[in-house]
Amino acid sequence: MFHNSSQGKYWIWKNEDEIEQKRCKANLKFRNKILESGKPGLSESSFMERHEEDVLFRHYERRMMDFCNAFKPAMPKSVVGTAIMYFRRFYLFNSIMEYHPRIIMLTCAYLSCKVDEFNVSSTQFVGNLLQETPAGQERVLEQILEFELLLIQQLKFHLVVHNPYRPMEGLLIDLKTRYPALENPESLRKSADDFLTQATITDAGLLFPPSQIALTAILNSASRAGLSMESYLNECLGMKEDKETLSKMYESMRRMKTILKKYELPKPEEVNTYKRKLERIHAEFATSSNKRKRGYEEDGHVTKEPRLTEEIMSDEDMS
Amino acid sequence: MDDQGCPRCKTTKYRNPSLKLMVNVCGHTLCENCVEMLFVRGSGNCVQCDTPLRKSNFRVQLFEDPAVDKEVEIRKKVLKIYNKRDFDFPGLREYNDFLEQVEDIVFNLTNNIDVENTKLRMEQYQKENRDLIQRNKVKLSREHEDLEELLLQEQQGNEQRRLDLLQEEQRQLQAKRKNKQALLDELEKSQLPATILLAQHKVRAAKLETQIEQQKLAVKPTNLFSTGIHMRQTVSLQPVPKIEEVLYQYKALHVETYGPLVPELEQLGRLGYLNHVRAAMPQDTAGGYTSALACHRAVQDAFSGMFVFKR
Repeated sequence: MFHNSSQGKYWIWKNEDEIEQKRCKANLKFRNKILESGKPGLSESSFMERHEEDVLFRHYERRMMDFCNAFKPAMPKSVVGTAIMYFRRFYLFNSIMEYHPRIIMLTCAYLSCKVDEFNVSSTQFVGNLLQETPAGQERVLEQILEFELLLIQQLKFHLVVHNPYRPMEGLLIDLKTRYPALENPESLRKSADDFLTQATITDAGLLFPPSQIALTAILNSASRAGLSMESYLNECLGMKEDKETLSKMYESMRRMKTILKKYELPKPEEVNTYKRKLERIHAEFATSSNKRKRGYEEDGHVTKEPRLTEEIMSDEDMS
Repeated sequence: MDDQGCPRCKTTKYRNPSLKLMVNVCGHTLCENCVEMLFVRGSGNCVQCDTPLRKSNFRVQLFEDPAVDKEVEIRKKVLKIYNKRDFDFPGLREYNDFLEQVEDIVFNLTNNIDVENTKLRMEQYQKENRDLIQRNKVKLSREHEDLEELLLQEQQGNEQRRLDLLQEEQRQLQAKRKNKQALLDELEKSQLPATILLAQHKVRAAKLETQIEQQKLAVKPTNLFSTGIHMRQTVSLQPVPKIEEVLYQYKALHVETYGPLVPELEQLGRLGYLNHVRAAMPQDTAGGYTSALACHRAVQDAFSGMFVFKR
């Protein structure tokens, strides 16, 4: 349950500024690290700005979502939600310049399959990378396994993610049971589902409890259909006597809707420009990285074939 | 087959209930009469296996299977020679090996496997360990003596007690008889009215009675229980000190869910929640699943943390 979960304790932030600050800090941390290493010919412009990072982040997030939705066998929604939540949590404290989102997103999806009990084997998982050759898939798998532990560590080992999907089901059941004023609760489902899908690719999950997101989704769907559900909040959820909670709830809903509205698709031309920049950064700063990887190889975890291909991941700094 | 019988005269226990079956070292049975008849001279051969036997070696058969009797006999013999004990060995392992060796020999001799070699082995062992065998024999017999002495003591004690009791009873009977005689004498000689004499006698008799009772109660004090534990040993009969503690009081667990109240799992059906969830298939219920569980979880999740506002 959410109320005593690690998600409620450690992964809900006060507001968007707080989240943005963390991302800025991660960005700065990477810059400082590189600058401290004292490479010649460095300037501020060779790094990515926060907004540039954000565009690419959203781009890879969408790609991850597409990957998950095209996944065979079909991936349950909660697995997708968990994967995206991992992705967002990971890049709260790490810059995409340090860890390439291309591999992190696959690692997130892979981990979430395991945690959410969606049983696929690792070969089956990389088999979904359709554009890759079998050898390429093998290489990606190695990288996923290599980053998996890092990801888990960066998630502070808090692996259970509470998605708003089950709360929504619960609310629909509750509506059908206790709120006969609403004639056809099922009619709200479609639009509420869309709302939740939209919410997963925003920071809503890092700001609000899943039950609130689900409630907002349903109320939003109802208001679109021209129905008012204020009496449900008042009578059934017991907010009649507690006007403060009610107003706070409305405030939360309003904020959530604003966040969802603010979301904009990354523009393709921007993405292309920043992608090139990101590749350049990764190619350039991937020097001091091999320490850890060699360690893996000695352990026999990873085969010793050269991994530095243009198409697949470039080496990244792991330390 | 069920009935045991003598293989020579074919008498069975059924036909002759007083039939006594005997068995000798070879493990073959003969009835008592046949033994008397065949072994008049004191020795002869077994009817079944031609082993030379002596009359004095015949024993009453104790077990239904004569082979068991044979084994017991053999074991006795073997153990006389192989009489080492566990503290004669450096470790448990060696002792166990020794025991196994003994079992092997007994088995071989009982089942006539490799008898010659086994006997040779035993002889050799006997030669090699003559001293030890002798010493152990002495030790064993001494222990036997100790045990027998103990038994004897106990028996003597019992006998003594029995005699004491008998004497005591006789004394009491005599006292009673004397008392009666005294009453008769007094009735004869005294001038006092008979009623008073009778009353006096009654008092005396009662006194005697109480005396006897008291004697009975005052049993000779012993300071040994029959188990050999000393009486009046300072066994503390005080109760174990009690630890005074505040009694535990159950408080129902309260979980703060930061949300609206969730109906109890048991009430979901009554409240009508279960009408809106998919009913559990029969095959699902095998593992203990009910639709209420899923429903409860969903509703719980729907309300959990709903009123958490971090600002």
